[in-house]
Amino acid sequence: MKWHSQSIFLSGGAFKNWNAALYEWLKIRQKIFLRLYMMAVVYEFVWRMLHALLHLQRTILSWFRISIWNWNWRLWRRAVAAVQVPAVFGFQNHTYNNKKSCGRVRWKSDGKSLEKLPLHVGLLIAEEEPRYTDIANLVVWCMAVGISYVSVYDNQGIFRRNNSRLMDEILKQQQELLGLDSLKYSVEFLNNSNDKPEQQVLSCQATVKVLSPDDGKPGIVTAAQKFCQLVEQQQQRSTDLDVNMLDSLLRGTKGMPDPDLVMKFGTVDSTLGFLPWHIRLAEIISLPSHINITYEDFFSALKCYAGCEQRLGK
Amino acid sequence: MPKHVAFIMDGNRRYARKLHVERQQGHTQGFDKLAETLRWCLNLEIREVTVYAFSIENFKRAKDEVDGLMELARQKFSRLLDEQEDLEKHGVCIRVLGDLTLLPLDIQKLIAQAVLATKHHNKCFLNVCFAYTSRHEITNAVKEAAWGVEQGLIKPSDVSEFLLDECLYTNNSPDPDLLIRTSGEVRLSDFLLWQTTYSCLVFQSILWPEYSFWNLCEAILQYQLNHQALQKARDQHAEARVLQQLEADRCCAADLLQQTGLGKPVDPQLRQEALQKYTAEREERVHSFLTALQEKRDRFFTDLNKGFIASAKA
Repeated sequence: MKWHSQSIFLSGGAFKNWNAALYEWLKIRQKIFLRLYMMAVVYEFVWRMLHALLHLQRTILSWFRISIWNWNWRLWRRAVAAVQVPAVFGFQNHTYNNKKSCGRVRWKSDGKSLEKLPLHVGLLIAEEEPRYTDIANLVVWCMAVGISYVSVYDNQGIFRRNNSRLMDEILKQQQELLGLDSLKYSVEFLNNSNDKPEQQVLSCQATVKVLSPDDGKPGIVTAAQKFCQLVEQQQQRSTDLDVNMLDSLLRGTKGMPDPDLVMKFGTVDSTLGFLPWHIRLAEIISLPSHINITYEDFFSALKCYAGCEQRLGK
Repeated sequence: MPKHVAFIMDGNRRYARKLHVERQQGHTQGFDKLAETLRWCLNLEIREVTVYAFSIENFKRAKDEVDGLMELARQKFSRLLDEQEDLEKHGVCIRVLGDLTLLPLDIQKLIAQAVLATKHHNKCFLNVCFAYTSRHEITNAVKEAAWGVEQGLIKPSDVSEFLLDECLYTNNSPDPDLLIRTSGEVRLSDFLLWQTTYSCLVFQSILWPEYSFWNLCEAILQYQLNHQALQKARDQHAEARVLQQLEADRCCAADLLQQTGLGKPVDPQLRQEALQKYTAEREERVHSFLTALQEKRDRFFTDLNKGFIASAKA
């Protein structure tokens, strides 16, 4: 606010005028301050309303997303059933084994029906309390659909600390969901401390790796230290390093390919330290939660991935 | 409010296709939108903005498109130099991040001039990523650390997350609070992979030249909703980092003691003193390395600038 300064003449009559002018000035100033204060109150109210609306919108959207995906999925299944032999691929009143076998075959055909399937899916659990059964389901569905590499990550290192419990749960769900064919869909668990696989299997169809924040930036630091040691021993010069060399230092001997798809579960909009180097081109698809996740939701995320176009800078 | 926002300004070419105009016009509109967005950010007290202007991968594009983008850069940087008074008035510090040696020499010189002219401004900061990819940046940071080892300034064990932070192009900036990508793509495309591990990621489907103030507000609202969870994750990571550093120092100090102690048992008091001494020495080494690194970087720009002045006089 610019105030014009008033020159004051202190004579009798002029003093009265000055008094009146001062009174007027104070009144105007009070009005302006009141207006500013009201504006501030209104803006704060509007901002809070926007917050509340966004919250509401998110809740409604996630509810809608799930119901629409379920609806789409029912249509899709009916279309598949219409094309193939109904007796085998129907989804009502079947025995336990038949259910498993039709699930298994359905999942395999689902995978084949997509335009593209990710080679490596990262399951990023951005929720406080992970449910091992649901995560195991996700891993098994990945395998059943034809995804070769799956990594499981949370930013507190819970899965890393409970590695064996997760592995047991995955094997259990594999048996449960894939039944007799579980030998065909064999799993190799990559242990992080030594590069030997935890379980030797006949034919490797999928590789599962459990990751934590230590595999992110600290992993890059370790690779950097390795290179610096080579420089110190004069086996390399600092100028020898390029992106490919650092990439192979990071990958080690039993490296997995970079994740093509990161499925993020939870309402936090961040990668929370998940493999920063490796996710440079990964599509990040968010799902509201992994708790009670259904196959339909999982497959919708894969369909979303199949629709993404990668131009790679061109 | 976020203090540092990063933008992936995607969608210029799709916008041009939509409006049936030349690609170059799409890029020009994109630049105008950038200028507008910077004004909005200033009004909202967002003091630091980082933008992904040109990726190393974009060199793969058609020659005429790349030449057009370089010409646009030439024009805009020249105009910036003409508006130096305005930049000084608003205290705008311009930094250009990337492998500048990949650019034509005349653009390198323009950039050097702009960077040196605005180096001491500190009211607001604009970081332009030009000829940049995150993997190149991280590789370069490791190279700098290796250079430090070559010069005998630091040891390989001194390499830490903190040291690599300081070796990145973004060493003078805090990590972005919010990363916004327009045009509906949901990937990071090799942008600030190290720096955005705990940033709020907002993917918006609007094309960059159509970006509006309300889109920006929406992104900021989403940041605010995520703020608490992200702050908690960031704090956890910082704590873990401190512990890791302490553990690493302890190991190194213990190794040193063992070498000098000739196998005798060491009392805790001596161990503690050795740890404190080692930590102080490491910090000293890192400090002198970072000073030398800063001098090396400054020399790169001043040399370019001298060349620019010399060629201008000629």
